[in-house]
Amino acid sequence: MIRIDRRLIEHFDVILLLLIFLVCIMAFFNLYSASFPPRVSGLPPYVKQAYFFLMAFGAFLFVISFDYQKLHSWNYPVYVTVIILLILAETIGNTAGGAQRWINLGFFKLQPSEPAKLMLIITLASYFSRKELTEGYSIKDLIVPIVLTAIPFVLILLQPDLGTAMMLGIIFVSMAMFVRLKMSTYIVMGSLALGLGIFAWEKVLRPYQKQRIWTFLDPEQDPMGHGYQVLQSKIAVGSGGKFGKGYMEGTQGHLHFLPERHTDFAFSVWGEEWGFAGSAIFIGTYFLLILWGLYVAMYAKDRFGVLLAFGVVALIFWQAAINLCMVLGFLPVVGIPLPLFSYGGSSLMTTMIGLGILMNVRMRRFPNSLSKD
Amino acid sequence: MNPEDETGLKLAFKEIEDIEERDDASLDLLKKRLLGVAIVVLFFFVIIILRLWTLQITDGPEYEKRSYGNRVRIRQIAAPRGHILDRNGREIVTNRPSFDVLLIQEDSNDIGDVLKRLSPVLGVDINDLWTKVREAAGNPRYMPVRLKEDIDWQTLAYLENHNREFSGIRIEVQPVRVYHYEDLAANTIGYLGAISKKELDESDKSIYSGEDIIGKKGIERLREKDLRGKKGQSYSEVDAKGFEQKQLEKVEPLSGKEIRLTLDVDLQQIAESYMAAGEKSGAVVVMEVNTGRLLVAVSAPSIRIKEFIGGISQEQWKALLDNPKHPLINKVVQATYPPGSTYKMVTALTGLAKGAIDENTGVFCPGSYTFGNRTYKCWRHSGHGAVSLNRAIGESCDVYFYQVGQRVGVDALSEYAMKLGLGAKTGVEMEYEKEGLAPTKKWKLKNRKAKWQDGETLSVAIGQGYNLVSPLQVCVMTSALANGGKVYRPKLVEQVVDLEGTIVENFAPELVSQLPGMEKYFKLIRKGMEEVVQGKAGTARNVAIEGLRIAGKTGTAQVVRLAQYRGLKESAIPYEVRDHAWFTCYAPADNPEIAVTVLVEHGLHGGSGAGPIARAILNQYFHGKLDVKATGKVEPVIIDQDDGTIE
Repeated sequence: MIRIDRRLIEHFDVILLLLIFLVCIMAFFNLYSASFPPRVSGLPPYVKQAYFFLMAFGAFLFVISFDYQKLHSWNYPVYVTVIILLILAETIGNTAGGAQRWINLGFFKLQPSEPAKLMLIITLASYFSRKELTEGYSIKDLIVPIVLTAIPFVLILLQPDLGTAMMLGIIFVSMAMFVRLKMSTYIVMGSLALGLGIFAWEKVLRPYQKQRIWTFLDPEQDPMGHGYQVLQSKIAVGSGGKFGKGYMEGTQGHLHFLPERHTDFAFSVWGEEWGFAGSAIFIGTYFLLILWGLYVAMYAKDRFGVLLAFGVVALIFWQAAINLCMVLGFLPVVGIPLPLFSYGGSSLMTTMIGLGILMNVRMRRFPNSLSKD
Repeated sequence: MNPEDETGLKLAFKEIEDIEERDDASLDLLKKRLLGVAIVVLFFFVIIILRLWTLQITDGPEYEKRSYGNRVRIRQIAAPRGHILDRNGREIVTNRPSFDVLLIQEDSNDIGDVLKRLSPVLGVDINDLWTKVREAAGNPRYMPVRLKEDIDWQTLAYLENHNREFSGIRIEVQPVRVYHYEDLAANTIGYLGAISKKELDESDKSIYSGEDIIGKKGIERLREKDLRGKKGQSYSEVDAKGFEQKQLEKVEPLSGKEIRLTLDVDLQQIAESYMAAGEKSGAVVVMEVNTGRLLVAVSAPSIRIKEFIGGISQEQWKALLDNPKHPLINKVVQATYPPGSTYKMVTALTGLAKGAIDENTGVFCPGSYTFGNRTYKCWRHSGHGAVSLNRAIGESCDVYFYQVGQRVGVDALSEYAMKLGLGAKTGVEMEYEKEGLAPTKKWKLKNRKAKWQDGETLSVAIGQGYNLVSPLQVCVMTSALANGGKVYRPKLVEQVVDLEGTIVENFAPELVSQLPGMEKYFKLIRKGMEEVVQGKAGTARNVAIEGLRIAGKTGTAQVVRLAQYRGLKESAIPYEVRDHAWFTCYAPADNPEIAVTVLVEHGLHGGSGAGPIARAILNQYFHGKLDVKATGKVEPVIIDQDDGTIE
């Protein structure tokens, strides 16, 4: 039974919603330019993205309709479902770019590695909020969350989707560090990670997977592929100058060609067409949204709320940081999209549901606001 | 239920209406940490803004210049593949330039128009050109689409002179293989082909890309690492119309390493032409007795390299697969046959080593041997009379070896076969090598689920049982008999030389195993083998060359029991059920240098079917040495039959 509480409407965070809309509108205009002139048959990407946005916004509304406390009890069924989906994707998924990542639902290609990110945030938030240790967590306290993280991590690594697997690792590390660890834990975890890494390198990874990691560490090895893209991206952003070349005026032709992975370079189109001024405005808005997310965490009413909000912010922030560093030539190409800004339904859906959780925490920031049905 | 209640914190939770701040120490602590998080976020914000400043304000004008109708094109320059030479430095496989026409879609201002005008120039149908472009639809638009390979000089000159008319079209020089001796040693050297998707997925992406040509078979594949070289890159600027403006930088490709094989072109050609002359199928192997160098490796019929250049069609591939003479199979190592009488040396050595016989052991051969309730025939139905070991080998008396086999048992035979290099991979650099089989009692129990019959030992003893050997194994065995029991790993590569002329790999003999303390037994066997060629009644008298002492052994491997064809003239027996003919030998007999093994599928008899080929090779190798005259032609002599028939 959901009873609409008057206070929920009162506490609805207009600023958060406004920031989300601002970023999405910029993304939409940018995509319109980036996918012009249309090359592929079928619906142009910006139209598809509009549909994706409507679907994602529907999900957002659904997520804010119930009390986030329910996530405690839903956590495990959701966890198990996502794991099953991951295994299904491995066995019956369509092969996209040589990797098993999709389950085709007809109207929507479900990428179970996407909900896995959210599921991990909810799982870890729930665990850390129920198990509270002010003096810091020891390695023994971390065994359960490590195992819970490792299962989807390994499944996604096998796909192989190094980018998403890395994100899961980053979420875990961020959240664990946030709740505070004992010094001894850091030492044990560090050596454990090192040992596992060496073991995987020696025993588990196939030669071509090692090669991917090498290419990732040293993109110069692959000048025709990734190195080329980064160079072109830098030229695009740099040539934007102070005020850009103007909307739809970008000349970096290869970005008009949008196969799946080029969507990661959406920001270089923006940088070229709007210049430093436009880029600063966009980056400013985007980081305002991230900081606002931290503000939401600041005023959450309980530990679970703080952790959920923090997790969502961490997810969006790290993806954005990695994507922007890549587009600006700091990092090799890793295939991580810019949340809300890159073309792609799965990523948008994940981000919007995450932001729904954030809004949920915001709306129910006062005690007694119906924590029980 | 509030989770805080369960944790039993010191502070009790009081339900008061709308308290702004909850008095909760741990929650406050957590929230304090958010400030640290905010600092991290702001730090990244500053970094990104600074980076944007650098790119767009500081270096903006420069990037703007670069993007103003200009883009950088990185082009791969294919590396010339390493040459393949014979042992004397004669070029077997080298390269020549091929000029290919490429389309860079991104650079072309009107693909349709360009293709329309290009079609008559290249002489390629416009639809075929479009098909090629469509096939590349999944690739980024800066990746070249190969429209036509290896254009002629006129076309090249025309395109070079009119290049402003074809925007986005580029000529690329690619090295392609030249085969100086056509299909010489084709099954050993192999061929090249376009990299497959699977190969690409498993390869090192920094070395290979989707356009590459790689070794698909033989030495070309096995030595890909040595031969491939290192691609170069050229960075050039392309203006908005797709014409290259200027070259920024060029990294020259490094050619691959040169491989000098141990093969000898002359000998290889002789062997191949002899096999081809009678449209024979089979294998010829020549190996240096004391090193393991392979001088000849023939598998007949050979593949035709031309068919594989630029990819082979489905029909052609199927035809090759269905060809009853199996040109795709490298019969030197991939095909195994019953060894026939060539196995009798193994039986002799086992008998001597186990003390079942000595040089004076005599056996009376009446033309057959009764064991249990069966009669095992000797190939000479009139019988050999009293035979010693020497005559038994020389005239290939089956009865003698039936008895030796019976005395030592099958497991001992297998043990010595293995010691001479049979029934195990030789480790040569060839693909898909088969192990063959030196059967034992255990093997039969495991694989045939049946107990070993003593009668089967008799068949094994004359090489007609379950035993299976590859021609290369027989050659290794022959070398081991000749050199006193040393089994060398056969090798194909003499030297690998990098482009600076440094020898990065040099041939060294590799001893796999040896049989010490058996020299006196080997001597006896070798004498018998000399009898085969040099003796008055030897089964390979026709192989004899004046001025050269040769030792060898003939053999016949049954394809089917020939009972139903008995009494028919040879020519009346259908080809596919005729016996395989073996001949293996080494020379000179007193100081062996090379071993020659010939297997002719369905060639009937070792002496007549396989002997002449060995003779021609020996003649070529030794003429000019040891007073051997070049004859140039070998008269095949029809001689005695030699087959161990089991009834």
